[in-house]
Amino acid sequence: MAMFLMVLCMSLLALAVTFVAFAGATRAQAESAPQPKLKPERALPQHFFADAPVDRPTVPPSVLLAQIEQHIRLEQAAAESFIERPTPASLHGRTTSPFVH
Amino acid sequence: MSNGQPDLLKDLSTEETAGLLALGTRISLQSGGELFRLGSEASSLYLIERGRIALTLPMQVLGRGEDILVEERLPGQTVGWSALIPPHKFTLKATAPLETEVLALSRMALLEHFSARPGVGYLVTRNLASVIGHRLQVFQAMWLREMQRVVELRGR
Repeated sequence: MAMFLMVLCMSLLALAVTFVAFAGATRAQAESAPQPKLKPERALPQHFFADAPVDRPTVPPSVLLAQIEQHIRLEQAAAESFIERPTPASLHGRTTSPFVH
Repeated sequence: MSNGQPDLLKDLSTEETAGLLALGTRISLQSGGELFRLGSEASSLYLIERGRIALTLPMQVLGRGEDILVEERLPGQTVGWSALIPPHKFTLKATAPLETEVLALSRMALLEHFSARPGVGYLVTRNLASVIGHRLQVFQAMWLREMQRVVELRGR
């Protein structure tokens, strides 16, 4: 019985020593390990699925409407001219429309 | 009419023209006034006597619904031929950009007149086919020009 108790005490002592040694080793490793550097904060893109928005000049609605009207008038004149003289060249003749330049 | 004989009445005799014009009702429009609206019942066609009629279609421009000019008609020209072509619904909106006078010819009056005078009906129908055919040719050419541009843009 005394022998058994002695073996048990020795085992518990060995277990305790092992635990203390392991804890000390891991703490030292954790302290010596370099901390991961935080990446500098970057401005997140506003659009995930598209390139950065292009700065387009904003056209006032009245100007845009006038341009559309001018385009339609010019296109109609070009079409009328094609009907007068139907040729491939007259069908695809260029106009001064702001929408095609 | 300030531009000679209206396109719809081409080749009609003076008496035939007078007889047809007598069926009409004169309508005066102030600048900005609406003659007919897209989708409305087309019961009359109109001969422009003075001023101008703008034919427009709705389009979204910068997020706003706008009436975009599709065609402009002048004195002597006809608008609203949907009155004689089924399903008799206007497919454009017509407004007067300036003070304008038109002669409204109702479908019922015209068809009655044509029944009694088939020769007049034939000439008016032929002239109407010419007006419609011209618009078709113009828009066909405009459509193809736009298609050409789409093809060129895709090729870039």
